[in-house]
Amino acid sequence: MIDARSLKGRDHLIGVGLCLAYVLLLFATASDLAMSRDESFYVHAAKSYSTWLSQLFSDPATALTRDSIDRAWAYNWEHPAWMKLSFAWSWLAHERWGLFPNESLAFRFPGMVTGGLLLWLIYAWGASVMRWQGALFAALAFALMPRVFYHSHLACFDVPIAFFMTLTAYAYWRALADRRWVLLVGLAFGLALATKHNSWMLPAIFLIHFSWIRWDEARAGRLDRASIAWLPSMLIIGPLVLIGSWPWLWHDTWRRWASYAAFHLNHVHYTYEYFGVSYFEPPLPISVPFVMTLFTVSLTVIVLAMLGLYGRRAELRPPWRTDPGEAKASRTEVLWLGCLLAPLLAIALPSSPIFGGTKHWITAYPFLTLFAGWGLVAISERAELDVWRGHRWPSWTFAALCLLPGAAETAHSHRFALSHYTPLAGGVPGAADLGMNRQFWGFTTGSLTEWLRGRLPEGGSVWICDTTAGAWAMLQKDGIMPSNIRAAASMSSADLVLVHHEAHFNEVDYQAWVAFGSVRPVYVLRYDGVPIISVYENPRAAAMD
Amino acid sequence: MRKLSLAAWVWVLIAGLAVFELVAHPLIRAATPSDDSWEAASDFIRTRYEPTDRIVAAPSWIDPIVRHHLGDLLSLRLAAPSDLAGIERVWEVGIRGATTRAETPTIEEHFGRVRVRMWPISTDEVAYDFVENVAQAQVHLVTETGAKTCPWQDAPPARGGLGHGPMTPLRRFVCDPRRPWLWVGATVLQDLELQPRRCIWQHPAGTDPVRVIFADVPLGDRLVVRGGIDYNSERQRIHGPVTLRVWINDRLAGELDHRDGDGWSGIDIETAALGLKRGEIRFETTAEDPSARLFCWSASTRKGPGDD
Repeated sequence: MIDARSLKGRDHLIGVGLCLAYVLLLFATASDLAMSRDESFYVHAAKSYSTWLSQLFSDPATALTRDSIDRAWAYNWEHPAWMKLSFAWSWLAHERWGLFPNESLAFRFPGMVTGGLLLWLIYAWGASVMRWQGALFAALAFALMPRVFYHSHLACFDVPIAFFMTLTAYAYWRALADRRWVLLVGLAFGLALATKHNSWMLPAIFLIHFSWIRWDEARAGRLDRASIAWLPSMLIIGPLVLIGSWPWLWHDTWRRWASYAAFHLNHVHYTYEYFGVSYFEPPLPISVPFVMTLFTVSLTVIVLAMLGLYGRRAELRPPWRTDPGEAKASRTEVLWLGCLLAPLLAIALPSSPIFGGTKHWITAYPFLTLFAGWGLVAISERAELDVWRGHRWPSWTFAALCLLPGAAETAHSHRFALSHYTPLAGGVPGAADLGMNRQFWGFTTGSLTEWLRGRLPEGGSVWICDTTAGAWAMLQKDGIMPSNIRAAASMSSADLVLVHHEAHFNEVDYQAWVAFGSVRPVYVLRYDGVPIISVYENPRAAAMD
Repeated sequence: MRKLSLAAWVWVLIAGLAVFELVAHPLIRAATPSDDSWEAASDFIRTRYEPTDRIVAAPSWIDPIVRHHLGDLLSLRLAAPSDLAGIERVWEVGIRGATTRAETPTIEEHFGRVRVRMWPISTDEVAYDFVENVAQAQVHLVTETGAKTCPWQDAPPARGGLGHGPMTPLRRFVCDPRRPWLWVGATVLQDLELQPRRCIWQHPAGTDPVRVIFADVPLGDRLVVRGGIDYNSERQRIHGPVTLRVWINDRLAGELDHRDGDGWSGIDIETAALGLKRGEIRFETTAEDPSARLFCWSASTRKGPGDD
């Protein structure tokens, strides 16, 4: 038997409320964010796939030929299809019915929905094992992480994979006691596989967790042992969903899957600044995911999570240090700890490619906040017993107080979330002093649009640095950037040159100096006083003013 | 009064931590210098600025803001110096208590949260700066069939971008249009420490030298040569060395053998003992394997003690 309470209608009402409120909030704030580099690639892919989807309905025989599939699906073959298909369906619906105010929102909407669903799931899982107040805290603490809030807006895979991995873990946990969940484990794992390769680590986490349960059961002499039916479900249904949802794998399946795996196992290294050193090849310091979590997540939430871990330490004891029959049947804490640590350790491994951004271990954060929920419940319950017997409002006030730092920082960081650092790092300027990564993906150009429109009232050209042509085109399609302000291919011929500040982008600064014979930017976009983008003006354009 | 339990104390501590986070962030933001502070600090320097002054930022990440306010005063040479030779005073625009020098400054003023400091410094006198005079050079690409002159001309600029290396100047010596990297001219290199270096791009062509000749150069006491390879190439530490040979009146005077990992580095050649006031200086680059050898050098003849 699983040691969890069954969820009630009220729980799902809270979950749905969280989901809807978050999606609405994301929807309302998405237009502040220009598309990021990766989004622009996925949008291009989704458009290509949507052409194929249309053909599938109009001429299925032709659509299913290898030529048609390869033509549509060769682009961005290095990522599975599920979320890009979602973006494509959403865009097709927008094209047909005009559902969204602009194209960007059409592509981003499915990602936002997974962000909302993830809050529901965090709440639901939390409420299954702790007081619902702790579960609510966990969901809100996750929602109010600055970088999570940013990534939840995007037509990318990072928040979706956090959702599908958490969903798979939840289904696995339920399946241990309820065979009705067995098929769902395979399906959820398949969707996780079809979203992003982070999912590859799930079977290992589950096997470790399952072996602890079996060990407990053996020591306790239990006869009703947990079923391992989840494993064949994952191993059979998972790959079927991956392949079924990804037409690129319908031909030459093995070779293409191997290429996909090899792409990520031998991934290029991104240059990443950490404590003043620009790392461009492994090993990245082991401390990166841990320190970056400390510097980007509210310290209050982290301390509560540590408290939660401490409070549940008895459930984390290894089987050989647990009295027979003492351990709870589901060992939920062990599973959560595995899901929390595995993404962090995967990035910390000296052999891992350098990915850099916190988004690469964002799948750990639902479990961090679930432990924080446990910590909040534990400390509130004890304080309630000790100090304010019979009153609940101090606990609610305490919970709200603990959420406020995340809420305040998230609100402030909007538009600049990847540049945001918490007070532990000294804030944004403190992180700049320490030499931490300033930004990536070139999306901060969205914060320059008003200035650019004012500077080029009659139109002109802009060399857009780390912003992609696709992201720029989307700004124009959304009506944020006039069509007569175009992206220039060459720095020297552009009226304005943007430089997104990252240490290894200094090179681009120096190129602009030589191209224009001047080291003076006409404008410096700052966040909390820290340079984000410098803008240089072509003396030819300046002379015409 | 009832004694608080450990749980209650932890509760208080966490509540205090949340309050700390809530208060700390606005305080950090409030410490950001205002635009008025930047303007006032810039005006202060601008009215006292001399052409031999250098302006630096502390911490270095505020450099774009400082250049936004004072960049029109800075030449490429001053913004991307090989070293401090020829500079008589250093102005430092600083925030957050950061500084670039330990000595007591001659001038120190505060403008809100921006601090301006100035130090006079003693450096070599520059007799001749090869980078600034590159247009006066003659450039040849030596081949098996003889030396081919590389013309000084307008040529298409590079597009620019991450990993593209130093920007091509509009006017440069073009040695082989089929090999667009085979040109000579003044640019700015991003060195191994990501610092800007004003220098002469002279990518080796192979074992046959690319030759740059400066005629009738005032020699002074020393010839100081520095060189480096573009950050993106040098950081890999997988390519072979580049050799820069320096000839004075057809006699080999020095040889800089630059290996990946050396960073911006070089040689000092004593010229006082040569008994020459002026001479012809020739710089030749070679490399066994010229691929990805984005080599750039700077040199000047100096008078003075050489204590910079």
